[in-house]
Amino acid sequence: MLFRTRRLLSIAALVLVLLMLTPYAIGYRIAFSDVVVTSGWLLFAVVAFLSSYNLRKKLTYPPLLKSSTWLQMHIYLGIAAMVIFLFHTSGKVPTGHLDIALYALFTLMVASGLFGFYLTRTIPTTLSSRGNEVIFERIPLFRRQIKNRVEQIILQSIEQSASSILAEFYKSYLMYFLSGPRNVLLHLVRSERTSYRLRHELRESDRYLDEQDKVLAAELDDLIKLKDDLDFHYARQGLLKLWLFFHIPMTLVLLIFLVAHIVLIYAFTSGGS
Amino acid sequence: MVEVNTPVRDKPKRWDLPFSMDFTNEAERREMSFSDLNDLFAKKPFSEMDASRFPDSLPLASIVANDTRIRLYREGDAIVRQGDYGNSAFLILDGDCRAIIEGLDPAQLGRQAGHSKSLLKSVKGLFTNALAPEVRDSRLYPQHRDKAVFDPSGTVFVQDVPNILELSPESYSEARHNIIPEGSLFGELAALGRVQRSVTVVAAGPGTTRLLEIRWQGLRDLMKYDNGLRDHINKLFRQNGLKGALQMSPLIQAIDLDEDQWDQLLAEAEFETFGSYDWHGTYQQLRKRDEDLLTQEPVVQEEGQYPNGLLIIRAGFARMSQRHGAGEYTFGYLGIGDVHGLQELMHNVSTDDNSPIQTTLRAAGYTDIVRVPTRTFEQVIYPAMMKTWPDGNFPEKFLGETMERRKREFSGAPMMEFLAENRYINGTATMLIDLDRCTRCDDCVRACASGHNNNPRFIRHGKIQDHHMIANACMHCADPVCMIGCPTGAIHRSEGGGEVVINDATCIGCGTCANSCPYENIRLVNVRDQSQDDALMVDPVKGKAIVKATKCDLCVDHHGGPACVRACPHDALTRADMDDLLDLSVWLNR
Repeated sequence: MLFRTRRLLSIAALVLVLLMLTPYAIGYRIAFSDVVVTSGWLLFAVVAFLSSYNLRKKLTYPPLLKSSTWLQMHIYLGIAAMVIFLFHTSGKVPTGHLDIALYALFTLMVASGLFGFYLTRTIPTTLSSRGNEVIFERIPLFRRQIKNRVEQIILQSIEQSASSILAEFYKSYLMYFLSGPRNVLLHLVRSERTSYRLRHELRESDRYLDEQDKVLAAELDDLIKLKDDLDFHYARQGLLKLWLFFHIPMTLVLLIFLVAHIVLIYAFTSGGS
Repeated sequence: MVEVNTPVRDKPKRWDLPFSMDFTNEAERREMSFSDLNDLFAKKPFSEMDASRFPDSLPLASIVANDTRIRLYREGDAIVRQGDYGNSAFLILDGDCRAIIEGLDPAQLGRQAGHSKSLLKSVKGLFTNALAPEVRDSRLYPQHRDKAVFDPSGTVFVQDVPNILELSPESYSEARHNIIPEGSLFGELAALGRVQRSVTVVAAGPGTTRLLEIRWQGLRDLMKYDNGLRDHINKLFRQNGLKGALQMSPLIQAIDLDEDQWDQLLAEAEFETFGSYDWHGTYQQLRKRDEDLLTQEPVVQEEGQYPNGLLIIRAGFARMSQRHGAGEYTFGYLGIGDVHGLQELMHNVSTDDNSPIQTTLRAAGYTDIVRVPTRTFEQVIYPAMMKTWPDGNFPEKFLGETMERRKREFSGAPMMEFLAENRYINGTATMLIDLDRCTRCDDCVRACASGHNNNPRFIRHGKIQDHHMIANACMHCADPVCMIGCPTGAIHRSEGGGEVVINDATCIGCGTCANSCPYENIRLVNVRDQSQDDALMVDPVKGKAIVKATKCDLCVDHHGGPACVRACPHDALTRADMDDLLDLSVWLNR
């Protein structure tokens, strides 16, 4: 099935379910029934189901539908949860401390989910179009290899020519650039300003180099580009991993607050009525 | 001019390593002696061969000296195993052999039993996986097994042959357990046709059975220059293999042929081989030298030529290309059962025209074809087609590849070029990752590891075409070159789905499969012993770490199919059968 078709079908199903729930909710209001209890329990059930996706990821082998099917359900039920939440709270910020905290947590949860959705749909394309595909965990190894090669080049330059231009360039710019991940924020906004300036600086010094150093400078240029690509992958792949460190633990906190909320409601309001 | 620092080496030659020296086990290496050769030339079929028919560059004596080796087997030793791939044939010099068609279970041939883990066991495994890498239960290794015994060379000794035969309802003399007498040749069809061995052959004694193993290159040359051997093998092939080869084609399956038509077809069809059976070695060398593979591939049928027959692919692969500017444009490839030249032949027979072949067909590695001559096509196949489809609406799937169809179904020639050039066309479960959707979360790797005692069986890394990566995961090839030469048969096709799997218990870590795999998808690992606090297992004699070959097994012993596919949250990963281009193009163009 084409992704476009799947998306249309999922949206249609979601709209249909929400439309079916609306007259039910209106009917409850007309009948003076407390719709908050029903919507509250429904929201809890949906959040509990959304949280179970992480458990599914851990259980690899029981044939419990594909992870991608779960993610689709996660996305569309997440949207449904937003609507139910608005309905449950009547679109107003509550007054109690716990409820405010719960409201804030849910909002943050939704925001992080939407942010994650945006990241997972946009970053992969930028990574594949940048090229030099690399496994995140191997980035430090490749960074070290590039640094070692650059240092070899600089030593070779010192040995073979009287000029210290490349060595100066290394000392002034490259040593810092190569010693760790750099320009993380710039890479997140897809700016290549720093690497452009570095390479421009190197090319500018080309006129002062002899023929042998020019060859080495050309290789340095390639290595700077390579290191910049590594930083790009580090920043963007890192962000793809990082947002989950926020989204997943917060699920647990949200569930704890939800349970506390339900217990308090039942303890102090006779079942919310 | 050769520079001073350039290492000068002789160009590798065909017989640099005689077959008799090509053994994994050092103890078995022994050059053919003068008396061995004399002894051989006194026996049939060599005694009947006319050495003067062989060219000076390829003398008979050199072929025998370099492309054959003498092997000794004890009574009960398995010589070839049903289901194995091999590239040699055997001539019985002394003693008898027995062909066992039924009655052996996989464990008796050194293979793992094809059963799935229970659901409970699979789930339990998620929580009890080892912390250290590559931990094994040494109790499962050969010294603890009771059905097969392995000597250092890896030969499987089927201990209880008489009992196995007794259990079978057939008597010894029945066809299921034929005695192959001294002087017979066997295994030649599997060697020449690159198909699985159809029977298990064990040494039947008495005492030691002496065989001459002839590698396929030697057999091919002997057939080329000795009419007697060629006629004998051709006859065997026509008797046993040709009808099956023709029936691999969906076209031949679909049309209704009567007995006379079959007889004519079998009498007039020819079989030919293009390229080299050990294409993987040549491929690896060419890739290293960064040479254009297309121009190195032997032409089977060239664009613009008169169609001299209907070609049916019997084994291997063929690349289809058309001239485009100064080069050639790859737009498709053919696999087993596919046909080439059908449209042109149909056009010519129905219009009395002389339309030439529209596309060049090349052997991608090696290609084994059956050629149905044009006249036979006109007299047998075309009338049968017209009888089956009287309105002339032939189903498209039988007509073979056309440029129009390929363009319609498969956008992007570069991808086709990439798949053919890198020989990924060989895969039946190639791991494709869409990098535009992959978030590099490694859920696929973790899922794989969790099902294999915490050891991932692939690397999420590989060659990239546009935004699609072919990851380093076993492709479960249609032509599994990794299976050739495995001394113990540890690497084999599974009983159920035909996945290429390694039996860890019988793998001796020789590395033959890993070296043969052109895609570098098999890794050798040092193994640890679970009963010895996960310490590295060491061979007490040589003091070296014990090594095993590992690779993706397509989660054959788990429920629900490959874990990597099921674990991908973004539908970015699939295992594609490269023979099903329609399915592949749907996935690529989602």
